[in-house]
Amino acid sequence: MNTIIEFVKTEWNSFSKKTKIALLVLTALVGLFGIFAIQILFWGLGYTDMNNTFAMGLWIIGDLGFVALGGGAFFTGFLLYIFRVDKLEPLINSTVLIGFMCYLFTFILLVFDIGQPLRAWFGYTYPNWGPGLMPQSMLTEVIWCLTFYFIVLCVELIPVPLKHKILDKIPVLHYTGHYLHRLMWIMAAVGTFLSFFHQGSLGGGMWDVLYAKPGWWRAHHQFFFMAIVAATAGGTCFMIMVPKIAERIMKKEVAPKESFYTLARISGVMFTFYFIFRLYDVYTMAATYVPMADRSFADTLGGYYGWTTLIPELLLCLVPITILNVKKLRENEKTLFFAVICGVTAIVFSKIGVVLNGFSVPNFPWRGFAGYFPTVQEWSIMIGSVATMILIYWGFAAYLPLFPHMKEQESEE
Amino acid sequence: MMNVRWGMSIDLDKCTGCGACQISCMQENNMPIFDEDSDIPKRVTFLDLMKVTNDFEGGKKYGEVQTAFIPKMCMQCSGNDPKNPHPPCVTVCPVVATDVGDDGIVSQIWSRCIGCRYCQAACPYEARVFNWWKPRYEGDFKQGLNSDVSVASRGTVVKCTFCSHIWKRERDRAIAGGETDINKVTYTPACVSACPTGAIVFGDLNNPNSPVYETRLKNDPRAVRMVHSIDQQPENERARRMRIKDYPNPKVYYLSSQKWLRDIISGFQNS
Repeated sequence: MNTIIEFVKTEWNSFSKKTKIALLVLTALVGLFGIFAIQILFWGLGYTDMNNTFAMGLWIIGDLGFVALGGGAFFTGFLLYIFRVDKLEPLINSTVLIGFMCYLFTFILLVFDIGQPLRAWFGYTYPNWGPGLMPQSMLTEVIWCLTFYFIVLCVELIPVPLKHKILDKIPVLHYTGHYLHRLMWIMAAVGTFLSFFHQGSLGGGMWDVLYAKPGWWRAHHQFFFMAIVAATAGGTCFMIMVPKIAERIMKKEVAPKESFYTLARISGVMFTFYFIFRLYDVYTMAATYVPMADRSFADTLGGYYGWTTLIPELLLCLVPITILNVKKLRENEKTLFFAVICGVTAIVFSKIGVVLNGFSVPNFPWRGFAGYFPTVQEWSIMIGSVATMILIYWGFAAYLPLFPHMKEQESEE
Repeated sequence: MMNVRWGMSIDLDKCTGCGACQISCMQENNMPIFDEDSDIPKRVTFLDLMKVTNDFEGGKKYGEVQTAFIPKMCMQCSGNDPKNPHPPCVTVCPVVATDVGDDGIVSQIWSRCIGCRYCQAACPYEARVFNWWKPRYEGDFKQGLNSDVSVASRGTVVKCTFCSHIWKRERDRAIAGGETDINKVTYTPACVSACPTGAIVFGDLNNPNSPVYETRLKNDPRAVRMVHSIDQQPENERARRMRIKDYPNPKVYYLSSQKWLRDIISGFQNS
């Protein structure tokens, strides 16, 4: 015990002033998360700004965002292990960790979001399966696919801590890590299959089946597959953005530039696909789907979250399309960083638009657009989740072989 | 075999907006009383009495403004095909906490609901409500609870079921009295029996002798269904659209002799 305390003290003293402040702020945010978590779990969702009109809010946006951005893990794994894009190898540990955390916090936010957290297991024991193996409810598919993919991510993550210099000396752990790594292509294939479905279900299918709601309803295959493309585009940007931020903070090269450029190039192509898909989606909504409810698409984009989310989303998409598809711009550190931030923000805007505008659209002609602003409890749990993710990532980056390339460079020096 | 399809018609020309339907609904269904009952977006009530006006966009002169009250409960939607019902809220439930019965009533198992509120997102009539706070039944209020209806618990979605517990009570009574045909069992929901002007009428939509015989209601120029403007479309257009998607197909009809009221109830096409 004393050794641990001594280690913590030594580590703490070795941090710079800025690091200490950052750690304290993050810990305070995690503390706030804990306090308001107790309030929400014990006293209920009355403390949120959600209501019978605005039945879902910030946490569902968080879920959609985390899953879409964490989707970069399945796509990068797919490219590395199935398509053998070996240049992505130095980034894979980081992508698996980000995916793991995104999915973990998706579950955590879902538990807060449901009114009866103690009945969360009902999703497994009373699933709404339809005929055959087709799920009747999109949420049933989401619950099951998320769970299985989370298990896959756990298995994918295990070899990372096992490569720590102390653990690696234990033969059983060494061989476990080694053989798990050898089997990783199977995990990547299973993960791709599972992730493919729940990306489509949570980001798209869940909303497009709501046939009585003109703000959401459209052809199932259209929105379902668009959500998958969104995850591959935004997710790959996120998998570049996070290590790039770590690189700037640690002032060390965490992975070879070539790895980033390869992923950035793929991301640029996916963003081009996404943009075309999204334009087609907007066109069909305006021309076909919304008019079937005798309403106009422009009318459903009023309120606070209609045009204000759609236009920034489309404009932000143009940045990664322009930068990541041009070699010169892609290989410039500053423009690359700007492009991936814009890409991630575009996908976040799309999720905000889906949730907020969908609920905001009035159901009755005599009603105006509904408004929603999260309460301090909702903000604290959301921001606290992100703070916890940052702390976990920081811990992995500092103490575990998250970036093998960085360690290699250090040993060379 | 159940042949009955329960439905309702509400004559808004007769409705005075007294609110008796809402109060009787709350009492019959053990609605709790909250500190924030004026907080309408979080209020737990199965039957909402909505006040509408022909001046909701402003600009009408004195004397031209008209108002009306619309009692709105669960419309017990069935989707395009009532024989194979597909209400918007039922298939989305991840834990089968809600289902649609042979009589077309959309039920809700309160103790199965996990409170995900996906059904609330799917409902176009905002008929489903969530218990945002822990329901309280204080003092003598507990003694007035209806033993046929579960008391609500925090964090679950609840809804109007056309008081189907009364039907079950009447069914048991009829069976005890020797009745063997389930289709002969009739009942009256709480809101219908409480209406002092007889504005709300309840019965079997399939039965030509019923006051709410659907074929007659569909041909009634005074009748509209809530936010269901496809009813006003020509037959071929209606058929075309229904091939592409489901529509709620609600079982509640609103009758009014006032065109402005029919227009705003039926949907957005004139707004």
